[in-house]
This record gives sequence, C-alpha cells and structure tokens, in this order.
Amino acid sequence: MKNIKFEINGEWKQLEIQESWSLLYIIREVLGLTGTKCGCQDSCLDGGCGACVVIVDGEAKRSCRIKGCTLEGARVLTIEGVADGERLHPIQQAFIDAGAVQCGFCTPGMVMRAKALLDKNLSPTEEEVRQALSGHICRCGGFQKIVEAIILAAERMRGESDER
Amino acid sequence: MNQMKGNKFREIGKRVPIRDAASKVTGRKIYVGDMKLPGMLYAKVLFSPKAHARIKSIDTSRAESLPGVRAVATYKNTPQTRFNSALRFIEHKIPNTERIFDDTVRFVGDRVAAVAADTLEIAQEAVKLIQVEYEELPVMMTVEEAIKEDAYPIHEGGNIVGQAHVEAGDVDKAMEECDYVFEDRFTTQLIHHAAVEPHVAIADWSYDDKLTIYSPSQNTFGFRVILSQIFNLPYNRIRMSAPAIGGAFGGKLEMTVEPVAAVLSKMTRRPVKLEYTRRECIFGTRVRHGSIACIKTGFMKDGRIHAVDMKFYNDTGAYATSALNVSGAMSHKVFKAYKIENMRFHVNPVYTNTIVAGAMRGYGSPQAYFGLERQINKIANFLHMDPAWLQEINMVDPDSLDPCFHKPHGNPRPKDCLRRAKELIHYEDICKEQEESRDGRYRIGVGVALGVHGNNCFGAHRDVTTLMLKMNEDGTCILYSGSHDMGNDNVGMQKQVVSEVLGIPLDKIDTVEADTDACLWHLGDYASRGTYVVGMAAKKAAESMKKELQKEASDLLEIDPEQVELYDDRAWDSTQEGRSVSIAEVMLHCQRDSMRELCCSETHPAPRGPSSYGVHIAKVQVDTETGKTKVLEYSAVQDVGRVINPLALEGQLAGAIHMGLGYGLMENITYDAEGNPQETCFKQYQLLSASDMPKLYMDFVAEGEGEPGGPYGAKSLGECPVVPCAPAVVNAICNAIGAEIDSLPANPEAVLRALGRTTD
Repeated sequence: MKNIKFEINGEWKQLEIQESWSLLYIIREVLGLTGTKCGCQDSCLDGGCGACVVIVDGEAKRSCRIKGCTLEGARVLTIEGVADGERLHPIQQAFIDAGAVQCGFCTPGMVMRAKALLDKNLSPTEEEVRQALSGHICRCGGFQKIVEAIILAAERMRGESDER
Repeated sequence: MNQMKGNKFREIGKRVPIRDAASKVTGRKIYVGDMKLPGMLYAKVLFSPKAHARIKSIDTSRAESLPGVRAVATYKNTPQTRFNSALRFIEHKIPNTERIFDDTVRFVGDRVAAVAADTLEIAQEAVKLIQVEYEELPVMMTVEEAIKEDAYPIHEGGNIVGQAHVEAGDVDKAMEECDYVFEDRFTTQLIHHAAVEPHVAIADWSYDDKLTIYSPSQNTFGFRVILSQIFNLPYNRIRMSAPAIGGAFGGKLEMTVEPVAAVLSKMTRRPVKLEYTRRECIFGTRVRHGSIACIKTGFMKDGRIHAVDMKFYNDTGAYATSALNVSGAMSHKVFKAYKIENMRFHVNPVYTNTIVAGAMRGYGSPQAYFGLERQINKIANFLHMDPAWLQEINMVDPDSLDPCFHKPHGNPRPKDCLRRAKELIHYEDICKEQEESRDGRYRIGVGVALGVHGNNCFGAHRDVTTLMLKMNEDGTCILYSGSHDMGNDNVGMQKQVVSEVLGIPLDKIDTVEADTDACLWHLGDYASRGTYVVGMAAKKAAESMKKELQKEASDLLEIDPEQVELYDDRAWDSTQEGRSVSIAEVMLHCQRDSMRELCCSETHPAPRGPSSYGVHIAKVQVDTETGKTKVLEYSAVQDVGRVINPLALEGQLAGAIHMGLGYGLMENITYDAEGNPQETCFKQYQLLSASDMPKLYMDFVAEGEGEPGGPYGAKSLGECPVVPCAPAVVNAICNAIGAEIDSLPANPEAVLRALGRTTD
C-alpha cells in the first residue's frame, strides 16, 4: 500500500492505494465517481475506447493507463467536476443542443477531451477537433454530432453565438 | 432538411435532444457497470483456449479453496438444459444448442467455468487455478471445411443448421431469355459490434426465490423466457430490467452473461456482477455472420435486370442462436429493392468452430446487398452505363407489388433517395473527377449503392407491442414502455407521439422502461420495429387516453366529449373560441369528483411489413501505390416515411455510416491456424477514427403521407443505413482502380491484390 495525496475535482484527497491500482480504478471503485466509463478493461496496452478520459494537470489522459502511485500532487478533473453545481458547462450544453448524445457511454470521455482541447485553444479547426478525438470511439453517431457540438461550444465560449 | 411541406404537427418533426442527455453529459446516468448492490460478488469466466474439444477432466478444488471465492460453476454443478440465446417469445421454436456450461467446447472463447468471489481480483486469480484437461476434436474454421460430407458434426445432425429458400417467377427460364448473365462469388467477414459499453449483468437471486437481473438487454421479455427454461422458474419469479444501454447494435439482443451471473447468484444467494472485458466481448459474445455467396444476375442490353439467383452460406459459428432467423430475414429482404420478376434466394447457415454469430444491425442485409450491389456496378460498367441510371431503371416504384408475395410494397421511395443523394454530392461533377484521375497514382472513384431493410417481423412471426399510459393528478403522465433505448431515443420518439396526441408537453411526460415486472409485454428492440410498430402502439395508447381526458373535460366545459380538443397542455371547447381548462384541472376533477384514475393500455400488432430504403454515394481517393483509401465525401439519403425527430435521425444515420464504412474498409476478425481470434482489442480491431470520416451529406425523403400503417406515416431508420455503405464504398474503389474486389473488407491489401501489386 502507498499513501498519496492528490486533488480531485477541486478537493484534496489522501488515500491508501495499492501500487497496481489505475487512476480509473481509484476514481470508480475507491471514490465512487462512476461518471468516468471503461470500455476496454485489460485488453489494450494502447489504443482503446477513450471512455475513461479525464483531465490530469490540464491534459486529457486515459485514466486506465495511469498508475495511481504516480498521482502525488496531481490535479485531476473528472466529468463530475465539470458542471458548476446546477449550471452545466457550455461544452455539456452544446453536446445536448447539437444532438451529440446518444447511448451516452462515450460522452463523459468526449466532454473531458473537448474541455482539455478548448481550455488551450478556443478556436480549433474542424480537423483539429477530429484529431483530438482520435483515441475515442463513438459507435452510435460516427463522431459527426460530437464534432459539431465541440465547435458550437467553442463559438459560445468565445461569445460568438447568441444562444446561452 | 427535406421535410414535408407545411408541418401540420405540433411535436412531430421537432428537433429534440435525447431525453436523458443532461444525465449523460454530466456522468450521472447509471449504467449496469456503475451499479453496486450490498454484498455483491464479482464473477469471472474461464474461456476455452481450444477451438473444439471434450473436457476430459476439470479440477476446481484449488480455485474453491482460495480465500474469498464463494462459488465455482462448471457443467458438473449447473443446469444442463439446452437453450437458444436468441429465443424471442414463449412458443418460438429454434434449435437449442447452448448450455450455460457444456462438457464440450466448440470455439476459442466458449465458456468452461465461472467463479464468484468477494473481489474481481480474487475471481481473476481463481479462474487461473481451474485445471482442465481437454481431448481435442476435429476443428473446422471455415464453411468449406464444415460442409464436407465427412466433416465431424459440431452438433448432432451435422453442420448445416437448416435452410431458407424463397423463389419468385421462373428463374431458370428467365436466365435463358437474358442477353447476358453474370456470375460472381462474394465473401464477407466477421465483425464486432463495438458498442462502447461492454456486456455486463448483475443477477440477484433472493432467498425468496426471485431472480432479478439488471443488464443492458435489448430483449428483457425474451431473456425472461430463456431464464425460465434454464432455471425452471415461473415468470413472476424473474424480473429482467435494462436500466440503461451503452450501445447494442444487436450485440445485446442475445443472452450472453446473464445466465452465468444468475447461476452464481443462485449458488451463493448473493448479488453477482459479471462484466466482460473488451477482449471477452469480442470473442465471447456475438459477431456478424460471415458469408459466402454465389450470385447470378441475368440482364438485358438496355440494362434491365431480368433474373437473379442468389445462393448463400452463412457462417453461424459454434452455436445456432440466430442462424435460422438471420437466414429467414435475408431471404425476404432481397425482394424489396428492384423490379425483378424472377428471383431465387437460397441460404444455408453452417456451424464452424468460430465465434458465435448473431444479430447485428442489418441482420443479413449487409451480406446480401454487398454482392447484389457489387454485381450491379459491374453490369453498369460492362454496358458502359452510369451505375446510378442503371439503379434507377431497376428500382421499385411506390405502390408496386412484391414479386414474391404479390403484396403492395407500400410507399417505397428509393428513386427519390437516389435523386436527392446525387444532388447533394454533385454526382455529375464527381463522375468527371473520376474520369480525369484515371491515370494518376491517386485515383478518384464514385460508387452508388441501394440498401433495404424491413420495419418489423411481419410474416416471420408475431410482432406485437403494448404500451400503457397513466395520468397523474397534476396533469402530467407516465408512459410504461417495454422498449429498450439503445441511444437511438426510440422512447423519446414515443413521447413525441404521445405529446402530439394529448397536447401535453414533452417535459410533462416521463417513462418507465424495459422492466418485465413494470411494463406490458414487448417483443424486444430489433428488426427496426421501434418506429413503425412501437410508435404506433404509443399513438393508440395516447388516443385511448385522449378519449378519457375528453370525457372528463366535457364535464367541466359542459359540452360533448367529441367537442373537446387537446393542445398546449389544455382542453379546449371547439365550439367557442378561447374557452378552455388546463389538463391539470381536468385531472383534479377526474380524481376528486369522478373518483377515477386514468390508465390506458393498447396493443398494436404490426399490420404489414414495409421496407425502408437508403441510397448512398461515396467519393473516394485511392492511392494505387499503398492501396490506401480515403473516403472524401459521402452522400446518404434515407426513405423514412415521415421524420419524427430529425436530430435523432441525423445522429443515427451518421453512426450507421461509420459502422458501414468500417465494414467495407477495415473491420475484420481473423484466426490463426489453431482457431485463435487475432483481433481482440481496439488496437488490433480498428474502427474508423473521427479524422477518417468523410464529409457527410445526409437527408431524408418523406413524400406524401409517408408509409401506410406507421405513426403519422413514419417508418424506421435503424438498420437500413448500414446496408448500402460497404457496397457504395467498394464500388467507388473498384471504379477508381478499374479492378474488382469481391471480398470484404476492401483494405489496402485487398486493393493492392486487385491491382495485381502483391504476390499472394
């Protein structure tokens, strides 16, 4: 067991963890934050589904590929930390409005990827958005509406779109 | 959006986001994998490493003695009832070849044993401690090997599961009358559904002998029948519930993890969760049937197709499951596309020692239409005719008759789809680009294909849905729907229909879904039956409720019930402008004064089996040096009768194109010599990425009053749009390179082979 201290959704946590635990395991099984999904489990060393993407120190990362013991001092943001209380984040609202949500299983990872992208670049081109989604799978909607949602969110966050 | 002009509806045709979108974007939607019950155990399955073997001995003692292990299940201590995981309803008769665990394993990935333990880690450790000795049996990995006369039978009765045969006209005579006859062999591969949510179930067998299972099932009522057969429980002792589904595409229509979790829960009397990894989902659930087809098409100099003769072998893998259902469905769907009077379709599903094939979006159509559409492209090239024109002169017309059953097709609009698809992609211009790129390294290609799919199971077996609607005393209502929403928002569509009829806004209608104890019997969500059948059941239930609300409102308005109109959340006096009462007031009156509760249910059997149509046009660029194909632009137009929710349809159509292009270009499960599947994770089993997707032009044709018998004339999108993608893109590749590819997928190796650039 190892003792680590890291920030999760704005709150510092001190945890006793096993060396083998992934960040995904800690998020879902230890902290009970089940918004982050898992679509591959043990099978891939790289490549994968992207459903488990969270933001670690400002970067979108697959939480299944991060060892918990490397997290000392890290700042982790999961889907549960994106909305401001009752108020949805503009990216979340854009996903709803653009029809980017279908079965919803890939959605949390997609929202986190979009947030990491837009936090750095509020004017991505469509190709930059598509490149950003390269490690994600959306089997229901073929990415189309998700790409549109991220571009819509960027417009709104730049203040160019009237709605919201 | 090419909507019907002058929308006379209030709700139908509105762009509505899926009803639980806010829960999903915030991570608050609870899927079965997110659920934990008090005292819950975790299960792990031991899968067969052998493609075909008898279990000589199995020793579970070391696993059982591992601390934290609560049960170990094998064929020795579990029910040996044979079942079919694709069973749909109580009197359904299809071959029973499966057991929870068997003394024989028939493919790499067959279930050998399972463990329930306090933690997943302990369960994982324990399955490794189970020692199995196998006596190997002959392995048949291909249809060709399995159909040999002396082939070892994978199941008693031999390796040919059965047949489906449908015939119209006089095919042999018609072939002789043709100016030309083409004959080709086409093959299609196994693919994985790749729903992002893995297969998972939580089973809870109580000491009161009630079995409750939560799983993302597409057919809760069907699973209840099978579980009852296996465990000899009456239906009141089984509750199947699908709280959420993270994608399915047919992959969650057949029972996989549920009986394993159930038997472990029975042994321990504790809740048991079994969740497959991606690798286990790929080899341990279902794949699309591989196929070998011989297609013979007779045609005239002017391009008219006079006769078609199709003979298929479907690879159904190690167990029967959907073998006969898919074959039967295939055999009918090919008759709906063209004005071909003389047509024969014959298919034999065949057992092999490969992953179990089952239901997958398209259900036989993608295999059948791949060959048919490829051959039509060849005919067009041979006759120096435009493939789109050849399509158009052969496509069915509205109000024409099915050549086989001489029943009306209804309102099929493939010609409108073709016209619109050509318009959207500037067909003439891209054909010119194809001509101009003839000699370069990078060639432009244009491909057209038609796809057809049904709207229900009419003609195959009973197809019925019953919905129930309950009013609350504040004027809001609850819809009880047996539908399983896979993300396509079929339940939201039902809400729109109810809202249209009752004038109650969408946010005042909630739903109870996919629960065998709470909802009325429902056939399951497959066969693209959601809109045409279930949507109509919603309309009927709402109309029944409307009568009750009119009756109650007529007391308050002091008019006849027929004079009451419902809209804008109020009941209106149609005889006097502006006079109304709110639905809330009506319901308060109903409960307080009439002392009645309003709850209506209506049953709707499918009246007929219309088809949905889609015409897709692909523009590709092929690198003749590397064989790589880039799909540049893609036009997809679907005939859906009437559009109920354009937002949902656009998303579903784009997803179908992603899935269909993957089938055409890259997705594939292959085997090594020992029968081990080679693509068992997303690194190996690759899907098209966001950057691989072409620029999409999508539209829906909805002409006149739509499809007779559908709610407001609506019919399905669902499976249909996955059908034309592979032939459209492969036709485009072939037209680009001037060579033929008749086997899926058309990956770079296949392209180079077609170009004669490889040695194998």
